[in-house]
Amino acid sequence: MEAFRQEIIISAVIIYMIFCVMTGLWAMRRTHDTSDFFIASRGLGPIVVSLALFSSTLSGFGFVGGPGLVYSIGVSSFWMVIISSTGYAVCFFLVSKRIRMIAELRNCISLPDIVAARYGSEAVRFMLAITIVLGVMGYLATQILAMAVVMQAILSGTEMFANIGLVACVTISSAVLIFYCVTGGIIASVYTDVVQGAIMIVAGALILIAATSVFDGGMQEATSIILRDDPETVMPYGAAGIMASLGWFFVFGLGLAGQPHIITKMMMNKNIKDNRSMLPLSLFGYAMAALLWVSIGIVMRAAVLDGRVEPLALPDDAASVFLSMFTNPLLAGIVFAGLFAAIMSTSDAFLNIGTAAIIHDIPKAIQGKSIDNDLFWARIVTVILACVAAGFALYSHFQDATLVALLGAFGWGTFAASIFPVVAIGLNWKGATVWGAVTAITFALIINFVSQLAGYTFPYGVSGQLVAFVCSMVLFIGVSLVSPKPSLESDIDRVLDI
Amino acid sequence: MAIVLASICLAEIAPDAAGMPHPSYDGLQIGGDGAARLQHVGILGFAFQCLLLIQIILLCVLGVPDRNRTSELAAYMGASLAFMLFVAWKMYFGHQSFLATHETDYFWGFPVATAWQTYGTWLSAIPLVLIYSIGFTKFIYSEEDEETFDALLAERIENNG
Repeated sequence: MEAFRQEIIISAVIIYMIFCVMTGLWAMRRTHDTSDFFIASRGLGPIVVSLALFSSTLSGFGFVGGPGLVYSIGVSSFWMVIISSTGYAVCFFLVSKRIRMIAELRNCISLPDIVAARYGSEAVRFMLAITIVLGVMGYLATQILAMAVVMQAILSGTEMFANIGLVACVTISSAVLIFYCVTGGIIASVYTDVVQGAIMIVAGALILIAATSVFDGGMQEATSIILRDDPETVMPYGAAGIMASLGWFFVFGLGLAGQPHIITKMMMNKNIKDNRSMLPLSLFGYAMAALLWVSIGIVMRAAVLDGRVEPLALPDDAASVFLSMFTNPLLAGIVFAGLFAAIMSTSDAFLNIGTAAIIHDIPKAIQGKSIDNDLFWARIVTVILACVAAGFALYSHFQDATLVALLGAFGWGTFAASIFPVVAIGLNWKGATVWGAVTAITFALIINFVSQLAGYTFPYGVSGQLVAFVCSMVLFIGVSLVSPKPSLESDIDRVLDI
Repeated sequence: MAIVLASICLAEIAPDAAGMPHPSYDGLQIGGDGAARLQHVGILGFAFQCLLLIQIILLCVLGVPDRNRTSELAAYMGASLAFMLFVAWKMYFGHQSFLATHETDYFWGFPVATAWQTYGTWLSAIPLVLIYSIGFTKFIYSEEDEETFDALLAERIENNG
């Protein structure tokens, strides 16, 4: 079997991609209007939504960057994972019920629709839509680039594709993504998410078993090796220190409820009561898949310190080197398919919300209605958005990484800082005002962008994202308290009482 | 929390508080002297974490409608907070104990303080998940709420013709 390692891995990835294309074709027959295209007409069951929720949460970063971070800075990066139980709980307590109720009551198809209904303001809709579009470009570009780099690494190991270029890999991987997103919209996206989620759960569990068997003494031997080299790395705050760790605790824990690609899925379930089972199901899926993040990084760091493995050229190589050295080809095939699944499940969610912002929310905020023939334009814009993001990805790789790095600043932390107060608190506090929302979004964007541009670092590893998040929450509450008391529309007022 | 965060940013700076490169391996970071890193901000960091946990519980309570914020819910939320603070306490002071003695036991693959952080922090939010899922019809969305919402929907449809 070892002799056919590369062929097995490629077969697993090809089977997975064929499945995505078939799902797109199947979902196309169920997509009749923009409500189907963007929110599956609120007709999805709890298991489907749960798997879609967690698989969208764990992007390619969880499968590549996550193990790399653990390898590089030790236990510090665990904080991004262990906070998942708190994050999902806060997200469900604050968002899931009310977002679903307002979506049904006002026939909303996007997150900016929800905030426009909540605040009665097109200005808040516009600002949120712009934030989403900027974030989507950064996220999508990095995801497409990650997908292409992994594909190139796999294909270049074969004789036939030994010299395949990155442009060809971007083209192939983007084509599959675009095909199923354009044909099947969110229906294709969530049903591929189901399989993608299942693959990620299996991959996480199997990797944990493989990782604990690398050292005779299991995980304890691995952590003992790290402890002997530098105790702090394997202590609760890791190499990055207490405030970097607690910053991730804050930004990743509360910030989950501010991620548009995740909370938009909370508008799609058939029944509001499904939320009670969606929370534990999503959390279970995430916890299983994230085992890979934690276990690979620790084992690879210990293996390097112990002299079993040569030091890695890049920390992000941790997962691929682990798979090639410590797993059988079949498991490597499943995990590589899982990696593509993780990247694509996040990418399709971003494509969906980005398209909604462009064809529905921005026109509605400016001219009071979305564009005509919107399903047609939704498909066209999906293609354009993916192509532009792919272009950004290639430009970033070959010419100048600054552009994507800047757009990348509009990532998790910016979404958390700008959207969490406006949505998660705003849906539960009648005193929240338009001025509070506009101020919070504006300052969150400015602080994140300036700290990224200036490369400013705060003492003790305090991140700009944490500062932006704390500031936006303080400003949101403070400005809302001092600005005139809002008069809510009757139906929204009653929803906020339920 | 903003005040605690500002105090941390203004505290006397410890060298390499956010890590430093490994002397022998490119790409690896190390923490170095743990006691020195925590000397000026350790207790502030712990206070920040405790305030964050309190904030998390208050946010969860905010997500429960006014009329369902009963003494029963307060008891459950209070117990959840106590559990979360206990885990944070065991983690922080377990780490302090290690820094003083340089000795540690292991639990399920990790030094004890790290086990409290890894398993304990994740598990400490499970009571919130249980309150939400098991108490869904009592605290989050009761049959009465469902009837109110259905009536609101019907009204909206009627008004829109």
